[in-house]
Amino acid sequence: MSSKLDMPEELTLKVEGLSIAFGGLKAVDNLTFEIKKNEIFGLIGPNGAGKTTVFNCITQFYKPNHGTLLFRGHGDEVTDLTTRPVHDIIKHGLVRTFQNVELIRELSIIDNVLIGGHIDYKTTTLSQALQFPKARAEEKKYRAQAENILENLGILDRKDMLAGGQPYGILKKVEMARTLMARPKLIILDEPAAGLNDIETLELAKMIRKIRDTFDCAILLVEHDMRLVMDICDRICAINFGKLLTIGTPKEIQSNQAVQTAYLGVD
Amino acid sequence: MATFLQIILRSLETGSIYALAALGIIIIYRTSNTTNFAQGAVAMFNTFVVTYLFNRFGFPLWLAVMGGIMSAIVTGFLIDVLILRHTKKVSPVAKQIITLGLIMIVVGMAPIFFGVDPLRLPRLIDSGDLNFFGASISYNGLFNISLGLAIMLLLFYVLQRTKWGLAVRTTASNEYVARLMGVPTKTVTMAAWGIAGILGVIAGVMTAPMTSVTLNLMDEVQITALVACVLGGFQTFHGPVIGAYIMGIARNLLLFYVSSVWGGQILYILILIFIVFRPYGLIGKKVIKKV
Amino acid sequence: MKETTTYFKKHPWIGFVIFGIVLAMVPQMAAWGLFKQGYITTIGGTLIYAIAALGLNILLGYSGLISLGTAGFMGLATYISAYLTMDLKLPFEVAMILAILIPTLVGILVGLVSLKIEGLYLAIATLAVSEVLRKTFEELDQFTNGFSGKSASYPLLLGRFQLDKTSTYYLIVVVLVIIMIIVSNLMNGKLGRALNAMRGSEAAAQAMGVNLLTHRLIAFALATMFASVAGVLYVHFIKFSYPSSWILKLSLDFLAMIVIGGLRSIYGTVLGAFIVFALPDLFLKQIPYFENLSYVLNGLLIILVIIFYPNGLISIGHDIKRLFAKLKRGGKTNELET
Repeated sequence: MSSKLDMPEELTLKVEGLSIAFGGLKAVDNLTFEIKKNEIFGLIGPNGAGKTTVFNCITQFYKPNHGTLLFRGHGDEVTDLTTRPVHDIIKHGLVRTFQNVELIRELSIIDNVLIGGHIDYKTTTLSQALQFPKARAEEKKYRAQAENILENLGILDRKDMLAGGQPYGILKKVEMARTLMARPKLIILDEPAAGLNDIETLELAKMIRKIRDTFDCAILLVEHDMRLVMDICDRICAINFGKLLTIGTPKEIQSNQAVQTAYLGVD
Repeated sequence: MATFLQIILRSLETGSIYALAALGIIIIYRTSNTTNFAQGAVAMFNTFVVTYLFNRFGFPLWLAVMGGIMSAIVTGFLIDVLILRHTKKVSPVAKQIITLGLIMIVVGMAPIFFGVDPLRLPRLIDSGDLNFFGASISYNGLFNISLGLAIMLLLFYVLQRTKWGLAVRTTASNEYVARLMGVPTKTVTMAAWGIAGILGVIAGVMTAPMTSVTLNLMDEVQITALVACVLGGFQTFHGPVIGAYIMGIARNLLLFYVSSVWGGQILYILILIFIVFRPYGLIGKKVIKKV
Repeated sequence: MKETTTYFKKHPWIGFVIFGIVLAMVPQMAAWGLFKQGYITTIGGTLIYAIAALGLNILLGYSGLISLGTAGFMGLATYISAYLTMDLKLPFEVAMILAILIPTLVGILVGLVSLKIEGLYLAIATLAVSEVLRKTFEELDQFTNGFSGKSASYPLLLGRFQLDKTSTYYLIVVVLVIIMIIVSNLMNGKLGRALNAMRGSEAAAQAMGVNLLTHRLIAFALATMFASVAGVLYVHFIKFSYPSSWILKLSLDFLAMIVIGGLRSIYGTVLGAFIVFALPDLFLKQIPYFENLSYVLNGLLIILVIIFYPNGLISIGHDIKRLFAKLKRGGKTNELET
């Protein structure tokens, strides 16, 4: 069993032969790629190429039909993600964001961020029910951590405001804060530039780089916005119809014939 | 052997009643994305209308039933137009709560309109039995079974073979896309509520002669219909119907051979256990949510 | 003034204790002739219902799951406690623990069956289970006395202190305040956030490490537990339990209490209990058909509140505050308001 979990030191995620079919239609077909530690890795492809399905498979929202997904997470431990249930993935240090920014409208911003710390809480339910000193201290500690992250992202002043009704740009930052609470080793960003204008996209690029540097993690960027992808990615994987087209640096991708054909007409 | 046959024949009759009720629930579930917990209560109300027209106003039975059907269509339309139309922003759970509130309104209003005494509704076909290999079934029972089957076959025919049926199935599959494609979804949902009302009152009129017309008339049918949807799966129209007949037969078998007191309850428990092994019902399929 | 409100917000238990003290004054008011004696029974009953409703609020308000079995489980607890104290002559405390434990275990079993699939199945499963329980209460008459009803007496605490109506009422108030504190602590902390996440977005909850099945079970277990506590208090306060009490109508009434009063609001739940139960019982008894009319009204209120006022009537106070604040500032909206 342990020999199957072998992965070179410098890698954080190894996807090999990933395949999944829905009712006879192959959504992802034998996809293989690797993400190095602290790398900003892009996943691109035209609409319907299967990008969303790929990372839903990685995060175990879908169970892939074939393939191995080795992930080096907390404590440098390697796990085969296909053996984990979906709610366990974050425990290993793999967190994803949502294109629809799935925040809880009725909760305050800081409470939404604290959801990201859910797995870290150690005190028992009973202890929390009666607010024993240990439970109180734990809540205080994670609240401080959440405030820290919010301050880093520049939105600490809004921490007690309800998430519902906040502007879109703020919501994206809150979601990012929630993601960072889990001290991830790999963050999967689901089309983070969607709905942002040019200036906001530039700020996003700065933020992504800052996060990679400050929080010592790798980033898998699933994105449509080519400028953002070419700007910040170290390497890019292009797919179409669920199949691998090519993997390379932004320069190599830009001059790749197959990628051009797939993207004809799309920005 | 004759007793067994007798039980089966009787079960087909009660199964038809459950099937009509279950159809009423699944039609609304698949077009309005709501579980109508008030199906039985509304059916009870409309059956009271029939009984009132028959008893207090002296209508001939068939005319009273027509009156009940009219009332069922009106109540169905009213529920859709007055209440459900305003629930665009409301979550599916909240919509279920609305139907639970509907139960309270209907059950509260019925005694005010119709009084508190139990009323009697006679069978559609008064008397006469048919002998069938030693088992007997009343003409009324045969009529109920045939009528039930006829209605279901008609509905399935309309669903599968006509333009209207296509509109219903498209709305059932994806209301948003259906609207974009020009399907008159507002009319479809209104019609669905009307049809569900009709199915309910027919089930009520078939049930009433076996007991008396009270507030609790459709309670057992309602729970059985819901469980039949669980058994048959919420993804198809025919699944709950099959589930309903199975439950009708199983219930009578349990009542006769196992326990005349606990038969119904044993059935519910058995189905709950069945769900552990087949969570999506006999026919249902797992729905993969898009994330 | 602002500092005091923030202090109250940070330590909600203070508010609950003060609330409890106010409630505890009812018997004294009755002794002084300001209230009728019967008010103690009605208000005590209302507080008991509020306890069960708080459990349902954890399940529906925070977790988004409907249970139609609250009445059934509450009834089950009444019969267990009555039987253990009257027939087996067990001490009140032992009976109480068993009367809470057994229905909760049954609840967990039911939850294991239905919560694996979808929330919808819980509603149907609890409907079926409450039907089974109702039949049980009617038929198992060696334990339940069937239609004649089961009787019990005021609690005997620690084998020595025999309570009467007034002191049992005080016990109810104490239990209610404790439960309000517990619910507040849990729902404002990690568990509450997880349940809210589950309700708001199952996908996001799972991505954040929330095990859906486990949390649904916890919510349902808590709801059943509180319903059982209410049942124990009920049978030792009202001193009687009939099968005809534990029917769907009561489960729907609990639903009405929390929807009308305020989902996810602790004070709202108590307010809802007063609106649904105490109000008709205290003031509307004179009107003909009052029971039916109040049922219709509750159903109507549920629908209206859900569509137009989803946070429940408790938020009226909040909205009035905001309206005043707005008027003070001359109509300009302040974005930083929560």
